[in-house]
Amino acid sequence: MTGVSVSSLTKAYGALRVLHDIDLDVQPGEFTVLLGPSGCGKSTLLSAIAGLDEIDGGTITIAGEDVTEREPSQRGIAMVFQSYALYPTMTVRGNMSFGLRVKRLSAAEIASRVAWAADLLQLTALLERKPGQLSGGQRQRVAIGRALVQRARLFLFDEPLSNLDAKLRTEMRVEIKKLHKELGMTIVYVTHDQIEAMTLATRIAVMRGGKIEQYAAPDELYERPATLFVAGFVGAPAMNFLPGIVRAGHVEIDSLSLPLDRVAVAGPVADGTKVILGVRPEHIGLADDGAPGVVVEAATDFLEPMGADTLGWFSVGRHRISARLAPQRARSVSGLVRLALDLRHASLFDADSECRY
Amino acid sequence: MRRNAKWLSAARIGLYAFLVISAAFFLLPLYVMLVTSLKGMPEIREGNMLSLPHAPTVAAWVKAWSSACTGLSCNGIQVGFLNSLKILFPSVTMSIAVGAVTGYALSLWRPRGAAWLFGILMAVAFVPYQVFLFPLVRMFSYVGLNSSLPGIIVVHTIFGLPTMTLIFRNYFAGIPLELIKAARVDGAGFWRIFGAIMLPMAVPIIVVAIILQVTGIWNDFIFGLVFAGRENFPMTVQLNNIVNSTQGEREYNVDMAATILTALVPLGVYFISGRWFVRGIAAGAVKG
Repeated sequence: MTGVSVSSLTKAYGALRVLHDIDLDVQPGEFTVLLGPSGCGKSTLLSAIAGLDEIDGGTITIAGEDVTEREPSQRGIAMVFQSYALYPTMTVRGNMSFGLRVKRLSAAEIASRVAWAADLLQLTALLERKPGQLSGGQRQRVAIGRALVQRARLFLFDEPLSNLDAKLRTEMRVEIKKLHKELGMTIVYVTHDQIEAMTLATRIAVMRGGKIEQYAAPDELYERPATLFVAGFVGAPAMNFLPGIVRAGHVEIDSLSLPLDRVAVAGPVADGTKVILGVRPEHIGLADDGAPGVVVEAATDFLEPMGADTLGWFSVGRHRISARLAPQRARSVSGLVRLALDLRHASLFDADSECRY
Repeated sequence: MRRNAKWLSAARIGLYAFLVISAAFFLLPLYVMLVTSLKGMPEIREGNMLSLPHAPTVAAWVKAWSSACTGLSCNGIQVGFLNSLKILFPSVTMSIAVGAVTGYALSLWRPRGAAWLFGILMAVAFVPYQVFLFPLVRMFSYVGLNSSLPGIIVVHTIFGLPTMTLIFRNYFAGIPLELIKAARVDGAGFWRIFGAIMLPMAVPIIVVAIILQVTGIWNDFIFGLVFAGRENFPMTVQLNNIVNSTQGEREYNVDMAATILTALVPLGVYFISGRWFVRGIAAGAVKG
């Protein structure tokens, strides 16, 4: 099996540094997702791992071999692109076998690998078609098939689902996850879609401004975000942020005073520190219904029914926060309510460094 | 709605009137050439250019093709036709082959000053050929290429290069970079990507290039005159020799037949490739 190790990788376009000293370690068989907003450098990092972009510093190791100076085809990788990048003049079979023909594999070996991948991806009936005659989802499967036949050590996906419609995206997501489970290959996958990242990854690297903010398992990332950015980027609806000041073991948010001892923080926080308290909508409930936590008074602003649950928006002093409520219960919510903030699951960030306490 | 329809029909009438008048304007000379070529000399001397021939004859065509005098030899314009073909095929093939490769290479190379570079390249396509004639003749004499078939082929290839490079570069630059990246991951190199992926995608622009080069090279006069040598004079030069020969009476019917024969190849290209040809003109707008 194959791991990837990137160390102190830097990359700049002229004066613009797009990757700052990146360190990333992907274990064999791991499904690592690079997640971040556009322009964060995630695709550049993937290109660097693939060898498609030159880098300015650092090393890239695949399966224990230093591949920093190697051509893409010498790195033992296969790649799936956002635009699918199928060769339009070749049939599906031609597309899938092109790389194998370049490598001068025997005709029998090529035929058996293509048949295997086509069977796995339900492409057998489409083998003699041209990409232009296929739907978006079929093209995507051909692109994955073209990667699979390589029997590569490492699979790289560059936003493979972002050109598909919502329904197809969900289907393909499941299919990719199934492939990973069945074949157990190492995958590095780029996306800006946090749901894709949460559902697929064994570990997610959240990137911003050419740096990795946090690299952790999806649960860890969601429950204990390392920075304010990660906390805000991961999770929908987004985490509520309440800025305040620490005084005598409490977080003072305007007229509110919330006890700090309920918040899971690593160490003591000095008095007078400006902090931001982060509480996810599902950790806010109605105190009158017995929801656990610190009780605050709030005014109901409006309700957003989302089907499985209803998002309630409330004003607490100058701040607006959202809470995830049961739809039936939410219908009778109006005017002044008592909200319970479950601080055991809250996150506390330093307002200046934006790092978690 | 109704006013709109009325305005439209008025515009239509104007448009058709314009088209009919322009068609007549361009077709009249062709008509005169055709009827004159089918007349005998006595009838031509009567001076009625527009009248239909009393006794149509193809004698002038036969003479133009096989026995009209071009300078000293009297074998008709067929010699020039064959010479033109000998010049045409290798020149078109070479100029397109080289232009496709250079255009492909330049489409991959995107330096900072690319816009300037291609601007300059485009400007070069406008430099009058006459400027190069004398230096080229000296250079070709030096390497022994002057007045030879390879010489004229090299000249056509060189002078076709700016236009060919530009149209291929622009076409290849429109192909998504991810395709080339995918091919690199698949292990294909520069030539493999060119041959297996880019060239098959370039069929439409190759057709355009063929149209441009066939008409351009077939219609060339000055390069043929200067670089081909007496043995290899193309059809255009031979035509000039027939039409401008000063001995004896001017045989207008033979001149007309020879002219139409010479124009037949580009004319055929126009008719066969209609739609493509318009695209060719658009793509070759740089050629001037």
